[in-house]
Amino acid sequence: MFLAMKELMHSKMRFLMIVIIFVLIAWLVFILSGLGNGLSTLAASTFKTMKADYVIFEEGSQSSMGKSLLSDQLMTEVELLPNVSAAAPMGTTMATALKEQSTKNEDKVDIAIIGINPGSFLEPAIIEGESLSSGNPTGVVVNSTMKDEGYNIGDIFQLDGTTESLTIIGYVENQTYNHVASVFTPMAEWRKITFAAPGSDKGVAGPVNAIMLQGKDIDPDLINSKLSNTDTVTRAAAVQGMPGYKEENGTILMMLAFLLAISAFVLGVFFYVITMQKTNQFGIMKAIGASNRFLGKAIVSQVFVLSLTSIVVGILLTYGTAAIMPKGMPFKLETSLVVTYSVILLIIAMLSSMVSVRKITKIDPLKALGRVE
Amino acid sequence: MTKGLQMSEVTKYYAEGSNRIAALDHVSISVEPGEFVAVVGPSGSGKSTFLSIAGALLKASEGDIKLNGYNISTLTAKELSNIRLQEIGFIMQSSNLVPYLNVLDQLLIVKRMSGKVKREDKEFATKLLEELGLGSKLKSLPEELSGGEKQRTAIARALINNPNIINPNIILADEPTASLDTKRAHEVVSLIAQEVKSRQKAAIMVTHDERMLEYCDKVYRMEDGKLLLAESSRSVVTHG
Repeated sequence: MFLAMKELMHSKMRFLMIVIIFVLIAWLVFILSGLGNGLSTLAASTFKTMKADYVIFEEGSQSSMGKSLLSDQLMTEVELLPNVSAAAPMGTTMATALKEQSTKNEDKVDIAIIGINPGSFLEPAIIEGESLSSGNPTGVVVNSTMKDEGYNIGDIFQLDGTTESLTIIGYVENQTYNHVASVFTPMAEWRKITFAAPGSDKGVAGPVNAIMLQGKDIDPDLINSKLSNTDTVTRAAAVQGMPGYKEENGTILMMLAFLLAISAFVLGVFFYVITMQKTNQFGIMKAIGASNRFLGKAIVSQVFVLSLTSIVVGILLTYGTAAIMPKGMPFKLETSLVVTYSVILLIIAMLSSMVSVRKITKIDPLKALGRVE
Repeated sequence: MTKGLQMSEVTKYYAEGSNRIAALDHVSISVEPGEFVAVVGPSGSGKSTFLSIAGALLKASEGDIKLNGYNISTLTAKELSNIRLQEIGFIMQSSNLVPYLNVLDQLLIVKRMSGKVKREDKEFATKLLEELGLGSKLKSLPEELSGGEKQRTAIARALINNPNIINPNIILADEPTASLDTKRAHEVVSLIAQEVKSRQKAAIMVTHDERMLEYCDKVYRMEDGKLLLAESSRSVVTHG
């Protein structure tokens, strides 16, 4: 550490350049991961924040809400199954909210209508207003982003293409589904909206898209065997089954993976070039008795200090960027995400410095004597 | 246990095409503590090979080398590194200081290589540097030093280990005056001679600067890999 720090302080410019490169890489990694996280939150936060452990879909629905149709009469059977502590039905429909019959572009808002039973564990916590009630089927609870669109509590909006109108009675936070704001309605109202066309419920009594389950050690296979025509998956699998979700995340992950692989290479080359420049110096130190371990430690601790500094600066820059990002940008940094990518970057830097360490072990101290006969 | 440096019948071959060239040809030498020995010879005579082998940097093809009683021909690379650290002080051609360490740290880094720097080490290093006239330069970087000062720092670095007379280390100097003018060269070599005497080190200086031989106890001549004792330092000076 001593040698490493002394050298850092002595050749500030040289190391500053490496730090700049590293900061840019770290910045990009954090921004990308924040965007990826923001996007997947936007796609599925309602699903992700739900206090459900398992989801029962219709068999053959590929864990997708839109492809699944069940009867809520299954509920009585489901609740009796082993390890199931609670069950609640759910339905989703994409729709467009239309403000006061307006035809202006900005007055149309895409929404996801989530039908739930008022009072069930699927109902998110209200941050403002009242919660859902069965007695007021057209009273809905909406995501707080609708405030930014100019909607207030008590406002009535029409659903485009239907005769249904809904009244906002409360707000919830961070509830989006399929990239749009979630609008929670009582189940009865959801059915009215979704199955407006006669026969669209395929004759199922009390149709719902899925039944969400709470319970720790639920055995999906057991449920599938007890209930005919069902497919039970974990909530995480249900999130993956959302249309476009896997593809979207895959794109971001691919970009991150390439970025990390390239940065490993770039940093490795930088450290290697710097080490090469010091070949003679390391030779001298080896001649006067420095062990490979001693010199290796100097390099590794130097890389560690550089990496840590760069990552911290990168994190600060990222939060700075996040602060000035436009509100609608799906950017969401989580501490756990930042820590994970910091650790990954640190490990990559350390591994890439190993190439340099290997080089040191091969330096011949004889060269330090200036000439070899 | 015998102190100093003993080499007996040391030979080093280099392959050159299909031939084998003996860079060192059955070289034997013994340097006692407190003795300052010079090795002179034309370039290509094997001086550097000799010093590299004596300094545990190069393995001999044949023969035995004993450094303060350690038979270095049987040691591993790691053990050799430790021998260089503990038993040998190198003074190299162009001082070869670490560019980003100040004069005091140049000495203490040697201590750091073998573990922690103790307060006594720091005190000893400061005292040593003061003795060598570098008392006012303790915090200076090599780039701020003159050639003579750099070489004196290198001498101090070679002396930092085993300060006690009981277990003195071995000083190997490779053309220590190569980059110095006559006045500085005399200063530096007389300083080495003085330290060798007062600290009872066994020292070998490889040089082709024959002005410096008057400071040495014995002068060896190296020619085509053979090491021969010159009659006396005087005779080399007059005839060489």
